[in-house]
Amino acid sequence: MKKIHVGAVAAAAAAALVMTGCSTGGGDASSDTVVIDMWAGSQSDTDALNAQLEIARKQNPDLKIELRTAPWGDFFTKLTTNMASGNMACVTGMNSGMLSSYTDGFRELSDADLEAAGIDLADFSAGADEILSNKGTMYGVPFDIATMLVYYNADLLDAAGVAHPEAGWSFDDFEATAKAATKDGKYGFAVGMGDFQWQALPIAKAGQQPVEQDGTLALTDPAFVDAASWYSGLVTEQKVAAPVASASDTGWGENQYTGQNAAMAVDGTWNAVSYLNNDAGFTAGMTTLPSGENGSLGLILGSGFGIAKSCKNPDAALKVLGSMLSPEAQDYIASSGRSYPARTASQPLYFESIDEQFRPQVEEVFTKAFEQVQGQYVSDNWSKVGTYIQPQLVSVYNGQETMENVLESAQQQFGE
Amino acid sequence: MSTTTYTPRRGTLARTESRQALGFVSPALAGLALFTIVPVVLSIVMGFFNWPTFGDKEFVGFDNYVRLFTQSPDFWPALRNTFVFALLYVPISVILSLLLALSLSSRIRGRGALRVLFFIPVVTPMVANVLVWKMLLQPQGLFNGLAQSWFGVQLPNFLADPQWAMIMVVVMSVWQGLGYNMLIFSAALEQLPESVVEAARIDGAKGFRMIWSVMLPMISPSIFFASIMTMITSLQVFAQPQLLTGGGPGNATQPLVQFIYNQGFKFQELGLAAAAAWILFAIIIVLTALQFRAQKKWVHYEH
Repeated sequence: MKKIHVGAVAAAAAAALVMTGCSTGGGDASSDTVVIDMWAGSQSDTDALNAQLEIARKQNPDLKIELRTAPWGDFFTKLTTNMASGNMACVTGMNSGMLSSYTDGFRELSDADLEAAGIDLADFSAGADEILSNKGTMYGVPFDIATMLVYYNADLLDAAGVAHPEAGWSFDDFEATAKAATKDGKYGFAVGMGDFQWQALPIAKAGQQPVEQDGTLALTDPAFVDAASWYSGLVTEQKVAAPVASASDTGWGENQYTGQNAAMAVDGTWNAVSYLNNDAGFTAGMTTLPSGENGSLGLILGSGFGIAKSCKNPDAALKVLGSMLSPEAQDYIASSGRSYPARTASQPLYFESIDEQFRPQVEEVFTKAFEQVQGQYVSDNWSKVGTYIQPQLVSVYNGQETMENVLESAQQQFGE
Repeated sequence: MSTTTYTPRRGTLARTESRQALGFVSPALAGLALFTIVPVVLSIVMGFFNWPTFGDKEFVGFDNYVRLFTQSPDFWPALRNTFVFALLYVPISVILSLLLALSLSSRIRGRGALRVLFFIPVVTPMVANVLVWKMLLQPQGLFNGLAQSWFGVQLPNFLADPQWAMIMVVVMSVWQGLGYNMLIFSAALEQLPESVVEAARIDGAKGFRMIWSVMLPMISPSIFFASIMTMITSLQVFAQPQLLTGGGPGNATQPLVQFIYNQGFKFQELGLAAAAAWILFAIIIVLTALQFRAQKKWVHYEH
C-alpha cells in the first residue's frame, strides 16, 4: 500500500512536470508586459539599455516594459533554454553572427510588421537589412552596424620607428609594418581566435567569404585556403605574431594588443572607443583592413532586436521594437559613443562623441571601412564549424597542424 | 483473550500512522520526484529522441548511441581523454595525498599550518586556480621566463601541445584536489587505535613495515572511500580542461563531460547529449561496482 502511494505521488509529480515542461505558447507571464531581453556585460551597458528603455516607455505610456539582461556568453545559453521552455522574451536582442542558430525562435518580419513598428529601412545604413537576415528572410532590425578594423599601438610603432598605417593600405604594407614592429620581445601582430577576429584578414585577402550566399560551406575554396594559410603563416613562417598559449584564450589577439605585447590586432568597430581610452594608457590608433589584389572585402555585422515567434502580443512588441530603434534611441547610443548607429541620420553624432584628437581618424577610417562591405553568409551549422575550428587553430598556430588540413576536415565534417 | 481484541486495534493504528507518516514524507518525496526522478527519466527518454532545443522532437530509437560510436568524430577521443585523465589522476592523487597525510601525521611543528596550506586550493574557486596556472604555464609566463633567464632553455608551449596539455591538466588537478584526500587520510590516521599501534611497536615494527603492515590496512576503508570518490570525480572532470585548455589543442584534452556540454548547449542536440551522459553513467556505475567487488580483498573494516 505504501508503495502504491509513493508510486502515485511520483507519477502525479512527473505528470505535472512533463505537462508544464511541454506546454509551449510561452510568451510572458502577464501579457500586458513586454519583456526586452538583451546582453549587458557591465553596469555601463545596463545603464545605457535603461536609458533606451526610458525612451521606449515615454513613447508607449500605455505599455509596461521590462528589461532582462545577461552577459554576452550567458545570454545565448539562456536564450537556448528560454526558447526550449517557451519563455523567450517578446523583444529579444540578436547579433548577426549568432542568428543562424536561433532563427526558429524569431518571427519573420514582414513589411507590415516594419510599418507597425514605424521603421523605414531607407533611413538605415545600406546593407543594414542584411545584418539580421538569414537566407533572404529578415528576423530583426539592427541598432548598430560594425565591421572589422586593424588597431595599432602607436607607442610601440613609434618605438620601433615604423610609420603609422593609413586607411587604404596594402597587404605588403601590413607585412612590412608587422615585421618592423617585431623586436625587443614585442610582436608586430597578434592573431585572433574568435571567428570574426581571425577570419577578417583571410576574407579581405581572398575577397570572398568561407560560405557561399546560399549557405553552402566553402572552407576549402583555394582562394580562402591560401589566404588563411598566409594568415597562420604570420605566426609559423614570418614569425611576426606569438603562438597562442591555450585554446581557452578565446580573446588572444585582443588581449595581446591591450597587454601591449603586440603592436597590431584585428577587432571590431564596437571596441574602437574602449581601445582609444584604454586603461593601459598607450596611444591607440586604427585603420581599415589592408587591401590586396582582390580588394579589401569586409563584413557588415551588427546587433539588433527581433520579435519572438511565441510572443503573445506581437503588436505591442513591435511598437517597443520601433521605440528601441527610434531616432531618439539611436541618437542616444550614437552620442554616448557606445556603438555606431544603424540609422544614417544618427551616425554623425557618434563621431561628435569621440575625443577631438581622434575624431578625424575615426571618421575617415569608419567611412572608408563601410564602403566595401557585405552581409555575413553563414551555413546552418556555422556555430558548430566555429566551435570545431577554434581549438584546432591553436595547433595550427603552434605548427603542429596546417591550416589547409583543418579547413579540409571542417569542410568534410560540416559541409555535407 | 486480551490479545485477540488488541490485535485489530493495533492494525488500524498502524495504518493511520503509516498514512500520517506518508503525509510527513510527501514534501521530501515530491522534491525527490521533481528534482531527481523526473529529470533522470526524462534524460533516458531524451536519449532515444532527436531532441533539438527548439522544434519538433523525433523518436529515433538507438540512433543517438549508434551515431556516437560510429559517426561522431569527437566521441571516441573524448572517451579516451576521460580515461587517460582518470588513469593518471586517480593513482597520483591518492598516493600523493596519502604520503602527505603520513608525513604530516607525526607531531612536527607547524603541521596545522601546513594542512591549511595544502587545503587552500580545494576551497579556492577553480577559476582563480586556473588563472594562476595559466599565468605560470603560458610562453610569456613564469616558468618559461625563469627557464630562459636561468638556463637559457625555451620550454614547450604547455597548453598548446597535445601531449603536454593533458599532463598539465592532470598536474593542475592533482594540485587542486590533493588537500581533500589528505584531510580524509589525516582524519583516519588520527583515529588509529593506540593499542594496536603500541602492540605493533612492542613487537618491533617501525618505519616502512609499520606503515605498510599496520597503518595502511587499518585506514583501508578511508583509502577505499577516497579512491572511489576520486575516480568518480575524475570521470566527471570538466572545469579544469574547459578553463585551462578549452579542450584543445584540437580535441586533445576534451573530456566526455565537455563533449556532452558542447553537444547539449552549444550545438543544441539534447538527445545526443543525453545518450552520451548515459554512457558516462554506465561507465561510472560499472567501475564503481568493480571496485566494490575488489574491496573484499584489501579493505579491512575490523580493528
